[in-house]
Amino acid sequence: MDTLEILARLARKAREEQTPVFGVADAVRLRIRSAGPQSVTLIPLELFGGLSAIAASVIVALAIQLWSYMNNPVMELLTPLQEIRLW
Amino acid sequence: MGEPMTDAWCKCSPAAEMLERATAILQNTLVENADWFDVAASVQGDEEAYARLVRRYEKPITGLLWRFTRDPAQCEELVQQVFVEAYFSLKTYRGDAPLLHWLRRIATRTGYRFWREKAREPQETSSAEFDILEQIEATEEERIDPSEAAAVLQALLARLPAPDRLVLTLMYFEDCGTKEIAERMGWSRAKVKTQALRARRKMKEIAEREHLLERLGWTL
Repeated sequence: MDTLEILARLARKAREEQTPVFGVADAVRLRIRSAGPQSVTLIPLELFGGLSAIAASVIVALAIQLWSYMNNPVMELLTPLQEIRLW
Repeated sequence: MGEPMTDAWCKCSPAAEMLERATAILQNTLVENADWFDVAASVQGDEEAYARLVRRYEKPITGLLWRFTRDPAQCEELVQQVFVEAYFSLKTYRGDAPLLHWLRRIATRTGYRFWREKAREPQETSSAEFDILEQIEATEEERIDPSEAAAVLQALLARLPAPDRLVLTLMYFEDCGTKEIAERMGWSRAKVKTQALRARRKMKEIAEREHLLERLGWTL
């Protein structure tokens, strides 16, 4: 006899099983209440976003200032050497 | 004057069948309308409306999750998780399928997640599982207790990896086809078919190793 046929027969019988009922409506309601409104999580997110924007602007301002101090190495090569009179 | 309707007429005539079908359709429509009303109210924050939905669908959802664990405490926890998750996703329910189908999809994924999380935990030898398989006795097919049959089948299925176990659980207990399994899990149908083929082969090997056929003593 085929083993798979036996398994199928077991399954047919198993489908008749009476499963328990727990009555979870009140527990679900409590869990939903304790999970709280979703909008609360937005406040720390906005705060974090604001702080990141301020930090980014400071870095950009510093970078612009430092840009002017930078020397271009190509230009340095092309600039003729100053001749210094030794005597 | 017409003759009074007999029981035979009620059971056999095409008109009676049509009447029965129409009543079923009407009942389904009424339930779906009630669902719509309660879903809309729940989205607006009406807790009592959502409690009504939970009470209406708790039984089939528990029945499904009972296939993922036979531990009543774990099963109750999973049922609660499903309804909490469903509550926070209610806005995404478009109503193109009955609410029960949508809930079943959430429940199947919750149960599957539960198995995968359990598989990651350090394995303990489940003596209960061994006991169930050891205690199988030759019983006539008609006389075997459905709970016992389910426990034996679930103990055998527990030896498969989670994806194989899921496909066979839905096929054996929920009588699902490959299309429905694919829809519930968001998998392709080809994947489900391959998985089912492989899972059946493994399950056959497990059942033969456990001498299931000899122990049950069933004949064709």
